[in-house]
Amino acid sequence: MFKKILIANRGEIAIRILRACRELGIKTVAVYSEADRQALHVRYADEAYLLGPSPARESYLRGDKIIDIARNCAADAVHPGYGFLAERADFAAACEDAGLVFIGPKASSIAAMGDKAVARAMVAKAGVTVVPGTEGEGSLRDDELLAFAPKIGFPLIIKAVSGGGGKGMRDVRNLGEMPDLIQSARREAESSFGDGNVYLERLVEGARHIEFQIMADQFGNVIHLGERECSIQRRHQKLIEESPSPFLADDEPLRQRMGAVAIQAARAVDYANAGTIEFLVDKDRNFYFLEMNTRLQVEHPVTETVTGMDIVAEQIRVAFGWQLSRKQEDIQWRGAAIECRINAEDPYNGFLPSSGRITLTQPPTGPGVRIDTGVYAGFEISPYYDPLISKMIVWGETRPQAVIRMRRALEEYKIVGVRTNIPFHQTMMDTYPFITGKYDTRFVEEQFSMLDAAENRELYLDIAALMATLVAHFQMEHNVQVYGKLGQKSTWKWIGRRMRPNR
Amino acid sequence: MKYIAEVDGLEIPVEILDEHHVCFGKEILDVDLAAVSGQPLYSLIVNGESFEGYVYPDERGWQVLLMGRSYSVNIEDEREKRLQTSETDLASPGREFILKAPMPGLAIAVPINEGQRVEKGQILVILESMKMQNELRAPYAGTVARLRIKVGDSVQLKQILLNLVAAFSKAPS
Repeated sequence: MFKKILIANRGEIAIRILRACRELGIKTVAVYSEADRQALHVRYADEAYLLGPSPARESYLRGDKIIDIARNCAADAVHPGYGFLAERADFAAACEDAGLVFIGPKASSIAAMGDKAVARAMVAKAGVTVVPGTEGEGSLRDDELLAFAPKIGFPLIIKAVSGGGGKGMRDVRNLGEMPDLIQSARREAESSFGDGNVYLERLVEGARHIEFQIMADQFGNVIHLGERECSIQRRHQKLIEESPSPFLADDEPLRQRMGAVAIQAARAVDYANAGTIEFLVDKDRNFYFLEMNTRLQVEHPVTETVTGMDIVAEQIRVAFGWQLSRKQEDIQWRGAAIECRINAEDPYNGFLPSSGRITLTQPPTGPGVRIDTGVYAGFEISPYYDPLISKMIVWGETRPQAVIRMRRALEEYKIVGVRTNIPFHQTMMDTYPFITGKYDTRFVEEQFSMLDAAENRELYLDIAALMATLVAHFQMEHNVQVYGKLGQKSTWKWIGRRMRPNR
Repeated sequence: MKYIAEVDGLEIPVEILDEHHVCFGKEILDVDLAAVSGQPLYSLIVNGESFEGYVYPDERGWQVLLMGRSYSVNIEDEREKRLQTSETDLASPGREFILKAPMPGLAIAVPINEGQRVEKGQILVILESMKMQNELRAPYAGTVARLRIKVGDSVQLKQILLNLVAAFSKAPS
């Protein structure tokens, strides 16, 4: 087995990988940016090396530096996590050239699946249905995209060729608004991935986003670990994921067909290691290949929770050259798992990102709750990286039990210092479409509102008023005692000003 | 000390009698308030019932996050309340809106010019933060009075980006 692994990532996923290494008895190496000197992954690892300044381009995206560090500290392998360098074929190839094992698929598989247009053409050839779009057309200029659009039909989506995580994507309702949207998609893709190329795809209405986790070794064995339902998204960013999908539910034949297609798509690119095949499923249960993510997914814990498999440990084992630890028939699914992504975003203020110092965090514990996080009280959420604070995963014997458990856990979770989207999740757990599992990818943006959904909940106007009055009263009393008279016209105004920077 | 708490259009007189007794509306309540670990997270026991919530002030008043719901509470002592009601509302055309950065980030687009007339909802600045592009829009129609940033500027939280003077044709929203 590997002796030492370098983790080329930060935040909760770096911690997740460190934990797997620790359980396997492998030494760990963390890398970090200046902003992350005090981050948990640095403190948790056996060794830690500075990469450079805070912006990702100067730190976590510096593949050359990471490889130098790995060689200097005699690591045998590099785990890229997700994001940053995880889907960069050139980085995977550079690792191999440097004599390091890249814990992920071969560079050629990443390249094939990483170019979304090539990937679609390739799986289409293998007989997998894809959503109609401009696949196989290569890079198109603006005028070519505009000319192609009517053939695909509206509504459609502009997507970044090197995209992921919802960046560089725009929905287009008609030709008139398309030029502006192409520009903004290109701009976002350019700044996020260094590649402004985009392609078009028909927008399947009322669709659900359902993906399959697959796992493959270097001997051609490929298995799937079932599906994850990821339709609760906002601006193409997943917010809640669950397994099994309430839409597939007891439709075992459909699940098996989709699983078989997922395996087929992976085989089409000679895939090894963990990967995810994303599908769109329409109301009539037709499913289309969307893309393949050639890496560990953010939402992998829901699959781990229902299958009992440690996906990260398995990634390490197969990268070392071992066979898959289980066969398809050994995989069993038990109960239901739901994951909520806790982001530093204010759901009451257009989901604007909120950065700042976390002053208190009190995560839920107890039966069936798992928290994956990289933050602690005193840690600064910086504007340089993504807003994910933690992932909370719950397990229940049945889906309703999981929903109830998630409600309980969300109410227990206290994070002070930055605004979080916990109230969004609490509201979601109370909405009828979520409870009944009847939602599609448009639900959050088109039907969900914090206010409407809250209508059904019990109001605590009296308690809120009482609590605020008491806090205001005691705080003013305290301030008057501590600071004495300040000659301000209104002590309220003064307190307001004094407290503002602490928000 | 007497206050008037206003929440959701409801005005409730609250009198703090002593540290553990409050006259709330017409009812005398036993209360016990404790800040958890010195944070703006409060545990409140009212006649034996236990609640926990965040309370923090902002521009709109006191915000209370309780049982997964957010409440905006305005509190005034009685005298201040009397003063307020005797003044007329000053919000009117010509008032100035100051756009401040809602988060630190990088200005990647400023698709307007100083002196330009903008419509309600028009994009003023696109700010990139946490890898997301955030469009900051005009809250009402008006004229860009002073533009203080350009593309490529890094901005701090609450840094003033521009001033917008409300148009006279339409009442500001």
